[in-house]
Amino acid sequence: MRYYGGCDAGSTYTKCVIIDENSKIVAHVTNRSRINPVLSAEAALNEAVSQVADLHSTRDLTYLVGTGYGRNKVPFADENISEISCHAMGVHMANPKVHAVIDIGGQDVKGIAIDTDGTVLNFAMNDKCAAGTGRFFESMANAFEMSLEEFSKLSLKAKNVIPITAQCTVFAESEVVSLVGEGKPMEEIAAGIQLSVAKRCFVMAKKAGATDSITLTGGCAKNEGLKQAIEKVLKIKVVNLSIDPQLIGAFGAAEYAKQKSPI
Amino acid sequence: MRDLSQLYTFEKLLEEANNALVREGIKRGLHSIGSVCSLAPEPLLNLPGCFSVRLRAPRTGSIDIGTYYMSSLLCECCRAILERAVEGGYQFLDCIIAPDACSQMNRCVENIEHLNCIENAFVSYFDAPMKSDETALRHYVRQMQEHVLKPLYEKLGVDISDASIRKAVEQHNQICCVLQELSEYRKEENPRITGYEFAVLCTATYCCPKELLIEKLTSVAEELKTRKPDEKPAFRVKVVVAGSEIDDPNLIQLIEETGARVVADRFCFGALPEREPIVLNDTEDALTQVCRHYLKIGKCPRYMNAEKVLERQEYVRQLVQEYHADGVIYQQMKFCDYWGYERAYASKTMRETYGVPTLSIDRPYVTGISGQLRTRFQAFVESLEIKKRGI
Repeated sequence: MRYYGGCDAGSTYTKCVIIDENSKIVAHVTNRSRINPVLSAEAALNEAVSQVADLHSTRDLTYLVGTGYGRNKVPFADENISEISCHAMGVHMANPKVHAVIDIGGQDVKGIAIDTDGTVLNFAMNDKCAAGTGRFFESMANAFEMSLEEFSKLSLKAKNVIPITAQCTVFAESEVVSLVGEGKPMEEIAAGIQLSVAKRCFVMAKKAGATDSITLTGGCAKNEGLKQAIEKVLKIKVVNLSIDPQLIGAFGAAEYAKQKSPI
Repeated sequence: MRDLSQLYTFEKLLEEANNALVREGIKRGLHSIGSVCSLAPEPLLNLPGCFSVRLRAPRTGSIDIGTYYMSSLLCECCRAILERAVEGGYQFLDCIIAPDACSQMNRCVENIEHLNCIENAFVSYFDAPMKSDETALRHYVRQMQEHVLKPLYEKLGVDISDASIRKAVEQHNQICCVLQELSEYRKEENPRITGYEFAVLCTATYCCPKELLIEKLTSVAEELKTRKPDEKPAFRVKVVVAGSEIDDPNLIQLIEETGARVVADRFCFGALPEREPIVLNDTEDALTQVCRHYLKIGKCPRYMNAEKVLERQEYVRQLVQEYHADGVIYQQMKFCDYWGYERAYASKTMRETYGVPTLSIDRPYVTGISGQLRTRFQAFVESLEIKKRGI
């Protein structure tokens, strides 16, 4: 049996997926990224390899593709492919009926339209600013003195939405602190935060050309409050994938590894 | 491929505005004329006794001072140039010739003048036409006479005669011919010159005294005649880059590092069509002919008449065909008004009317090692490659 690897060296989390010849996931790892992407990727790869009995080291993988911001730092990778292409392919493999994806990573937001063969039709992504990214949510959860998981569910209880006007992560945090200080309901402030990110996702999705079905990938795809807010602003049902959305980039990379492998 | 022997020399010339050839020119008694826009005809700024330097702000770090004077909602290029002027980076200039074309650049130059950033230098502004017809031509000629030639003559004693203009055109054409020769190599299946190398050479022609540069440029052309590209191409797709000014070849390098080869450059500081030789006849005065040439070839989105808008799109489409490109990258400096509209319209036309894959982006002035830009370029290259060859 041959095995193919995809390693998504993201700014916040490093993900690794190993698939077999049938594109079935046989190992996966999600680790918090360290400051050095080489070390992060190395650790994730070793951990993933240890989950497959036939594999003894990363070198035993038939083909390995690196992706994510540290894609060119993945040790032993045969090549690197942008996370935009990998997320498109990952989503296509997970559900070919979905033709658009919003990937919310640690440091950027991308809207990607997917062609019928899993390649990228069009895409749009945010600029330098961290507004609407995973870092933004971490910062907000921190301001609420909650875990990310608790924060992501908080807005589901809200009866009203208190709009957040600041887009900048730093200013938004300051605005949230002021609103909390004024005694506004926490869940309604949280709903405002989710709505502001959802609107940002709306822009990316529309710029990329999303029309019918859409899904979310990246760590923030697990945020239920955000998912609900996106469905509301986009007026499109967000399709849940059968694979962990945080692993989709690495899964797409592994699929590309399989397709690009000379043997 | 082996490195071009003169590449390092040219790269050094781009490291600062007051580069070695500029200093040499001044040492020889030439007047240095600062220019900020392609609508100022270069031969008129390169009359015998003077040379033009298209202003750039290489190695820009913070642009806080420029932002203070111009606000954060104006073009970063303009802010960076103002910042560099405040830092004293253009002290070598005798004057700046600025068109009232892009109002943001105009504000930049006004600030340079108002803040007295360059001691003993004067500034002259001219109005550039927004259309390309005979009325516009008459206006353009008059503006050149009053706001370019007259001040150069009165304040610097430059010879502005017809013979002098013809001589400058001749020198300008020498540069253009060499760059055209180099451009031809870019049409090859496996081009012997990279987009980055071409951008370095071409950008230098805007920033150095032409009479001091021509010999070096000719020697590069000579070397390229026998240069052999690597058997296995170091690129996967070919692209045309169009849009607002790129005065830093590192942006081209960034694109090429993701697997593309930039084969044609339709942007300010590029060669197409700015480096088309000017053909003069003996029956009409040289000034009118130079102005007509600039109006005719002008591809700046400031020309807003419908014919020019469509002509620009058609021109880029032709470049894609002529240079065998797989796609187009339309890039625009953030907050550039003209290119903001142009990029949106042209990239839609490219994709939907002409069926040319197009990446449309806006970007900061300083791109450096931007990971996000790299991701965008790489994703575009991958989509072109996959569509072209399958997996």
